[in-house]
Amino acid sequence: MAQSNPARALSGSVKPRLQGWRALLTHRTFRRITQIAFAIFILYTAIRHTLVGESSTSAAASPEAYCPFGGLESLYKYITSGGSYVPHTHLSNLVLLVAVLSVAFLLRSAFCGWICPLGFLQDLVSSLSRSLQKRIPGLRRAVTSLQKRAAQLAVLDRYLRYAKYLVLAWAVGGAAYFGVMVFRDYDPWSALLNLAEFSFTPGLIVLLMTLAASFFIERPWCRYACPLGAASSLVGKISPVYLKREASACTSCKICTRSCPMGLEVHSATTIKSADCITCLECVGACPRRGALELKFDLPLVGK
Amino acid sequence: MRIHPIVYGILVVTVFVGIVLGFQAAGVWSTSGITTSDGKQVQPSTDDPSTIKGWMTLEQVSTTYRVSISEILTQFDLPSGTLPSTPLKDLETDTFSADALRTWLQSRMEPAASPPVDSPTAAAPTPQTASAPALTPTTAHEPAGYVTGAITVTAKTTIQDLLDWGVPQEAIQRVLGGPLPPLSTGVKAYVTGQGLEFSDVKAQLQAEADRVK
Repeated sequence: MAQSNPARALSGSVKPRLQGWRALLTHRTFRRITQIAFAIFILYTAIRHTLVGESSTSAAASPEAYCPFGGLESLYKYITSGGSYVPHTHLSNLVLLVAVLSVAFLLRSAFCGWICPLGFLQDLVSSLSRSLQKRIPGLRRAVTSLQKRAAQLAVLDRYLRYAKYLVLAWAVGGAAYFGVMVFRDYDPWSALLNLAEFSFTPGLIVLLMTLAASFFIERPWCRYACPLGAASSLVGKISPVYLKREASACTSCKICTRSCPMGLEVHSATTIKSADCITCLECVGACPRRGALELKFDLPLVGK
Repeated sequence: MRIHPIVYGILVVTVFVGIVLGFQAAGVWSTSGITTSDGKQVQPSTDDPSTIKGWMTLEQVSTTYRVSISEILTQFDLPSGTLPSTPLKDLETDTFSADALRTWLQSRMEPAASPPVDSPTAAAPTPQTASAPALTPTTAHEPAGYVTGAITVTAKTTIQDLLDWGVPQEAIQRVLGGPLPPLSTGVKAYVTGQGLEFSDVKAQLQAEADRVK
């Protein structure tokens, strides 16, 4: 890596390559375990709700009761009506919203990178895509070619990322104005949770499109359309946690940029304070040099 | 200050789960509209059809709103042999939904409060409303909560409504614990603003209203 820029003296040493079980003791493993645990919990809830259902004599909570975004959609009605909710939401949605925004305030949009099951689902499809590309050269060439063409649309990518804030405004504003979740029919997460009830909505098409797109581009829903991610990223902007690239230790090998699921240009930044950063720390794990890319804690808006 | 990535992950999970568990421990948690946070089953409110939920049964609705099951079935062209224990959501058709039922019941309850020109269902007085004894309100409209001869304090009831029912001003002041707010003020809005529990105040006002009936 250092050979690519021989004129510069590097302060960081090369990270030792971990072998055996030690290779598993990393934050990447811990992140996957966390994602899997939350995904299993939601899956269990969905299956239980389907089997037991909700009636006046028995109640198995709907998995939608565990969606933090439902809390944001219900927040206006909850405040203005003195404690009632828009349909399909409950107190749990509001509590989870508080938890997500608190995490964002303290630790950036870590909910997206570490907990969100829809984000995990996209990660799974992308992993499958990478795995298939390794085994099928033709597929690898096709995907690479497609990605190169897509790279020419970088400007479009930059502007499309703002779309999630429009989705956020529409979903929250619509719920406040109409008293119902206007976004629910288009929500891929809701569509996935209601699959067992054969509730086919436009959200199912959005879900299928998201999963198909995840084959070529990582986390497309999170990048362009997720309203919860948008809300979390806005709060996360004032978080004291951020990523710092130490230029003196960095070889600009771009491994960090290539490993970023949100497509951020990590290798050229000094501090990574983009609202799109989900602090999955894939870049930190991928970086081959010690001290080149680190997670820092500092007072908000100071010293970054 | 540098944060180790694994420590960061532990912090994320701890903060997230900790907040949720904290709320749960404080009793601020409910994942269903069927039970309240203290585990009691949610019941439809006798004076507010908007509290009807899809999981509620025909029987519950029939009992709460004093409308026969056969009348509901006829109104919405539902099969006459439908069991009373059937949840409303299981009966959804092109002509029936929980929403449609709420609207219909609301229109049954409000014929006296609004001119019956918009809705054909509201135009036809039901046996209950037709036989409702006339109160002697001081205002032109029927107070909110005036339903089929009964006086019921609801979230929409105003101070003016209470006075119209004949509840003494002193009694209202005693229950509210202070001077009367503007007469158009909704009781719930006022009580909530004062940090009082609406259900407690509602019960006391209902007792006062029952006393003057």
